[in-house]
Amino acid sequence: MTRYIIRRLLQAIPLLFIISLIIFIMMQNMGDPVATMGGRRVTRSEDRIRLTRQLGLDKPVIVQYLYWLVGNDWAKTDMDGDGVAETPGKRKGVLRGDFGLSLVNRKPVTQVIGERLPNTLLLMLVAEAIIISVALLVGIYSALHQYTALDNVITTSTFIFYSMPVFFFALLAMYIFAVNFKAWGLPYLPTVGMFEPEAGKSASQVAWHMILPVATLSFGFIAGYSRYIRSTMLEAMGQDYIRTAKAKGLPRPQIVYIHALKNAALPIVTLIALDLPFLLGGAIVTERIFGWPGMGRLFLDHVDRSDTPVVMGILMMIAVAVIIFQIIADVLYAWLDPRIHYK
Amino acid sequence: MKNRRLFSFLVSLVVIAAFLAACTPAAPATEEPTAEPTAERKVATFIWTQEYDTLNPLYTNMWFVTVLYPIYTCQAWWFDDQNNPVPYLVTEIPSKDNGGISEDGRIITLKLRDDIQWSDATPITSADFKFTYDMVMADGNAVSSRAPFDLTESLETPDERTVVVTFTEPFAPWLARLFAGQSGAALLPAHILQPVFDENGTIDTAEWNKAPTVGCGPFVFQEWESGSFARFVVNENYWGPRPKIDELFFRFVPDDASQVAALKAGDGDVGTFFAMSDMPELEAAGVVIMKSLSGYNEGWYINQHPEKGNPALQDVRVRQALAYGFNRQKLVDDLLLGRAAVPATDWDNTSWEDPSIEPYTYDPEKAKALLEEAGWVDSNGDGVREKDGVDLVLKYGTTNREVRQDTQAVAQQELAEVGIKLELLSFDSDIFFASYAEDGPSANFSLDIIEYSDSPDAPDPNSVVWRCAEIPSDENPAGVNPTGFCDEEFEALWAKQETQVDVAERQQTFHQITKMIFEKAFWIGLWQDPDYFGFSSRIINVKMSGATPFFNVVEWDIAQ
Repeated sequence: MTRYIIRRLLQAIPLLFIISLIIFIMMQNMGDPVATMGGRRVTRSEDRIRLTRQLGLDKPVIVQYLYWLVGNDWAKTDMDGDGVAETPGKRKGVLRGDFGLSLVNRKPVTQVIGERLPNTLLLMLVAEAIIISVALLVGIYSALHQYTALDNVITTSTFIFYSMPVFFFALLAMYIFAVNFKAWGLPYLPTVGMFEPEAGKSASQVAWHMILPVATLSFGFIAGYSRYIRSTMLEAMGQDYIRTAKAKGLPRPQIVYIHALKNAALPIVTLIALDLPFLLGGAIVTERIFGWPGMGRLFLDHVDRSDTPVVMGILMMIAVAVIIFQIIADVLYAWLDPRIHYK
Repeated sequence: MKNRRLFSFLVSLVVIAAFLAACTPAAPATEEPTAEPTAERKVATFIWTQEYDTLNPLYTNMWFVTVLYPIYTCQAWWFDDQNNPVPYLVTEIPSKDNGGISEDGRIITLKLRDDIQWSDATPITSADFKFTYDMVMADGNAVSSRAPFDLTESLETPDERTVVVTFTEPFAPWLARLFAGQSGAALLPAHILQPVFDENGTIDTAEWNKAPTVGCGPFVFQEWESGSFARFVVNENYWGPRPKIDELFFRFVPDDASQVAALKAGDGDVGTFFAMSDMPELEAAGVVIMKSLSGYNEGWYINQHPEKGNPALQDVRVRQALAYGFNRQKLVDDLLLGRAAVPATDWDNTSWEDPSIEPYTYDPEKAKALLEEAGWVDSNGDGVREKDGVDLVLKYGTTNREVRQDTQAVAQQELAEVGIKLELLSFDSDIFFASYAEDGPSANFSLDIIEYSDSPDAPDPNSVVWRCAEIPSDENPAGVNPTGFCDEEFEALWAKQETQVDVAERQQTFHQITKMIFEKAFWIGLWQDPDYFGFSSRIINVKMSGATPFFNVVEWDIAQ
C-alpha cells in the first residue's frame, strides 16, 4: 500500500505540471487584466503600455509561465520603458513556494487565498456534515420503508429539490425567511454577510448568518445523496448475507447498520471523498448571493479581472486536493473492503 | 467504528475551520481596537456590490473605491452637488485673479491651509503633495494611471504651504484631475510611505495599501476583512467638523438581487448600482433613490475605420438611419421604466452639454428613406437591404450586462423593420475592453457598433476616446479610440479645447465638437447613465455630487 501511495504521488508530479501549463495558457486567452484597470473608463493607452511592461504581461506566454513556475530573480525587467531591462526580478516561482502577487491588489496569492479559505471550509464542512447526516437518515428510512406513503413523499420531494436551481432556492429562502418574515413581524433571518456590524463578529452571529447559506448548499445534495443511499441500501438489503443474518436471528438494527450499511456505504464513501476537494473551491452561487466571503466568490472576482496568479493559485490548490483525495478514496476503499488490494 | 472515525474526522475539520475562520487575518494592524458597540453608536451600513481592489488611490481606478475618497482620504478640493469645486486642503481654488493660474495657463499654484493634518496628528504639508507626485512617476511603482502628472514639467514646493505644478502645455482639465476628482490623485502620507519606498524601491506591496490606518478624511480606516466587510470610524484628529455618524460599515455583497433584498430588509442603509427596474420595489420599501450626475451616458460608438470598418458605415446616411430606426425613447420607457432620458450627446447631464441639440426622434420612414437614398434597397425581398450584392448586416457588440443584452435584442428587432440586420455579440468586460494587442473586440474593429457607457473626466469634458492618436493599430496596440475615425478638423477642435483654460471659450469649442458628433452620428446615445444610490429613510442630510458623490459625508446623520 505504501509503495502504491508513493507511486501515485510521483505520478501526480508530471500531471500537475501539465495541468498548470494548460490552465496558464488558457488564462492568457481569458481576457486582458489591464483592460479593467481603468475602472469604469477605458484604460489610457499610455497606462496600458506602462502597466503591461511593469507587470511583465508583455512577455511571451511561455516566458510568463516560466517566471510563474521558477521565478524571475535570475532575469531583469524593463521598468522605465527605455527598452533596456535594468531591474532584477523578485519572484521566486511556485517551485520555491512563491505563487506571485495578485494583479488586482498586489497581495501575495497565498495571503489572498488564506484570507478566504477558512470561511469556505467553515461553510462547506458544516454543510457537508449536514448533507451526510440527513442524507443517510432519509436514504436509509426510504430504503427500509419502500413504497410507503412517506417514501413516496420523500421521493417526490427529493426530485423537486434536486431539480431546483441553487440560485432560485437561495433567493426564495432569502425573501421568505429574511425579507417577508421581517415584514410580517415574525422572527427573521439575516439576508447577507457573516454578522451584524452593531453586534460584532461572534460565534453566535456567524452561526446565525450561516443558516440560509448552509440550507441552500445542503438541499440539493441531500436530495441527491439520499437517492443514492436508498438505492445502494435496497441493493444490499436484497443480498444473500442479509437473508443469512436475518435467518440467524440477528437484531434488525445490527442487520441494517452493521451488515447492510457498511456494504452500501462503499460507493458513498468514494463519492464523498471525490467531492471533498471541491469544497475548497467554495460555492460560487451561494457565496455570491449571501455575501459569504469564500473561495467561490474569490475565484469569480479574479477570473472577471483576468488575475492569472490568483486563479492559478486556486486551481492548482484544487488540482492538488483532487489528487490527494483520490488517493485517500482508494485507501479508504481498500480499508472498507478487504477484498481490494493495490500493488 | 469506522463510521464513528469518519464522523470524528468531519467534526474535527469543522472545528478547525471554525477556529481558522475566527483567526482570519481580518484586522490589519490598527491603531485602536475595534470599538465596543454601544447603544448610542451610529453605524451606517453600505451594501457594496464590488469589493475594493486596494485602498491606495494611486493603484486603483475602481469606482467603488474612488467614490470613497471624501470618506477616508483627501484631495485639494471636492465638488459639491452642483459639481462646483469646494476648497478642502487649499485655501482657495486657483484662478488667474488670485494668482493661482499663470497667464499662459501652464502653472497652477496651490496654497494649502495651515490647520490640516493626518489622522495621527502629523501636519499635512506640501511634502506630501511632492511625495504623491514622485510615487506616481516612480518607475518602481506600477500605479494605475500617471495622468495628469505625465503631462507636467515639474512639481515644486517652495515652502510647506505652497505647491507649484507646471504643465508642459496649458492643461484645461486641471480642475478635475490635479489632486482632485475621481480621476485625480488623492494624497499619500509621506511620513508613512517614504520609508517603505526607500527600503523596497516600490510601494506596490505596502501594507498601507490595504490598511490605510493613517488617513486625512473625516473617517479613518479601521478594518477590512477580505470579501466580507470594511469599517471606517470617525477620525478624532480631523481638522473639520466631527462627522455625525460614528462608523461607516461596508458589506461586500456581489449579487444585485441580494443587495435589493438586503436594502428592503433593512440590513443595509446605502446601496448603489442596482437596476432601474428594481427602483420601484425599493421605493415601495421606503428606500430613497438619489442620483449622482457623473457625466456617464450609454451609447453606440460607430466603427468608421477606413480599412477595417464596415464600408456601409462610412456613409453618414446609414449612421443616421440607425438613430432614426431605433425607438430609444421606448427603450428607456420599457426597459428602464422611464427613469432615464435619451442623451443627445456624450456630454448630457454636464455643464458642457449643448442645449440646442435634441436627440434624433424615432422615425422609421425617414430611416428607410435615408437608406434608399444611400443605395441600400431590399431587392430580393428577404427583409435585409443590400447594395452591390452585399447585405446590410452589422455586428453589434457589448458586455454581457443584462440591460445591454436586452437592448441588443430590442435594437435587432426594431432595425430589422427598416432592413438592417444586426448580428449580436456580447462579452465579459475584461475581454470586451481588452486592448488591440489582446485582440479585444472593442479595439480590433471587428465590431461595427460598440456599446458602452463612458464619461469624460467629470466634471471636465475632456476625453481621449475620440483622438486620432488613440486609434488602435499594430504600431499603437494600446489605443482606445473605438471608432477608428480621424478627421483633421475634428482633431484640431479636440486639441484646442484641451488647452483652453477660459471656460466660456472652451464651452464654445465643445459645442462645435458635440454638434459634429451628433450631426454625423459618430455616436448614438441610448440612455443617460447617472449613478443611482439608495438610502434607507433613517439616513438624512445627504447631498449628491456628480464628481465626488460623498462630498458632504460629514453632515450625514442617522435619524433616531
